[in-house]
Amino acid sequence: MRRLCLIVFFSFSAFVAKAQEDLFDLLDDGPEPTQITYATFKGTKLLNAQTNETPGKGVLQYIISHRFGSFTDEYLYNFFGLDIAQIRMQLDYGISDRLNVGMGRSSVLKTSDAFVKYRALRQRTGGNAFPVSLTLYSSINYRGARFTDGLDHYTSDRLSYHHQAIFSRKMNENLSLIVAPSVVHWNLVPGPGDPNDTYHLLLGGRHKLTKRIALTGEYAFSSNRRYGSGATEERFHNPLSVGVDIETGGHVFQFHLSNTRAMSDPLWMAQNPYSAANGSLFLGFNISRVFTVRQ
Amino acid sequence: MKKLLLTALLASSTIVSAQQYLTREARLSFDAGSPLEDIEAFTESGSAVFDASSGKIGVQVLMTSFQFKRALMQEHFNENYVESEKFPKASFKGTYNEGKVTGELSIHGVTKEISVPATLREENENFVLTTAFDIILAEYNVEIPSAVADKISKAASIQVQATLKSVGK
Repeated sequence: MRRLCLIVFFSFSAFVAKAQEDLFDLLDDGPEPTQITYATFKGTKLLNAQTNETPGKGVLQYIISHRFGSFTDEYLYNFFGLDIAQIRMQLDYGISDRLNVGMGRSSVLKTSDAFVKYRALRQRTGGNAFPVSLTLYSSINYRGARFTDGLDHYTSDRLSYHHQAIFSRKMNENLSLIVAPSVVHWNLVPGPGDPNDTYHLLLGGRHKLTKRIALTGEYAFSSNRRYGSGATEERFHNPLSVGVDIETGGHVFQFHLSNTRAMSDPLWMAQNPYSAANGSLFLGFNISRVFTVRQ
Repeated sequence: MKKLLLTALLASSTIVSAQQYLTREARLSFDAGSPLEDIEAFTESGSAVFDASSGKIGVQVLMTSFQFKRALMQEHFNENYVESEKFPKASFKGTYNEGKVTGELSIHGVTKEISVPATLREENENFVLTTAFDIILAEYNVEIPSAVADKISKAASIQVQATLKSVGK
């Protein structure tokens, strides 16, 4: 009986001791909270491509982009390519934390565009985890440049479209990746036999070097680079870009080297005439600035 | 006799747990702003525990649960300042004694001994914890780049308010 008493006594004291230790463990005992993965990328654009990110609700964003002249195109005469820079301006707005609409104007073929971007699924960790983000993106592009073929054209001839499903994953604090299948549709193609629809697979990523500086890169495969059923030569080249992201407060600076020069989606993705192998490389930058207009 | 002991044991275990109080809806907020920039955030999903017999008290919060008015500010807070990926939680573990809490405060991977005024009063069988104190960000290795040094206060005022309910119920 005494032994039993002792056992009970010790188990009781052990229990009390355990209760003391476990007090702070209670802090962690609750249901694991779901955390939405933030800052997969610094900007809404990677280089030419879109990332999964959108500006927050009530945030107005302005992006100005330049692509300078090629190194092979009278580089010094053109003042390091600055004299023949191509430009794009973009203004967009976060209607909600998921929905983003915007418009832009690019100087190549005087193209105006409008786009809508929606975060359909968001990467999450914790209780209700989900491994990837899915953002849907569509743009409509209007060619403002005059046609030089001497033919009459419908307004619809000037339109082209780009639809994309952007899968992304923040692998860890530093590395984020994008896989984005997309389709480009042209109402008017350069020649008979050229496809109106081309399919593309964009791969991209960033690797952070410091808290505010990251290396970025992107490349897109195309379903048809020759265009035309009988064509033997590649008329268009897959876009390849590498760059550096620098973030300072409300700005993101993106400097890069790319074999593309046009900045409206269908042009850089499906009809890029420049090849890095031929020395056609362009320096460029995007600078974004955000303004919180509604809190 | 055996039965009696068993009953006593069971009863004592209930007593032990009944002395503990808990909430997972503690409100924590902080202000690190300056005349140039409002920098405020709050969360209502902090955890707090209190053991009435020993006076031990603990508070913990997930850094990513802090809500800012501006999405970008929230992103910068987590990404650049407190590095939530590396240091997901902030916690306080210590004891309450006569209008004061004393113990270890861990933020951004740095643990420091603090002793600050706090009130803990019993209210309808619950305990209500309230405290407000300042911390120096540099002491917790939170780096502020010189470019924004004017906009961010060197000290952050922290407020905690929690209603802790008995664990047994």
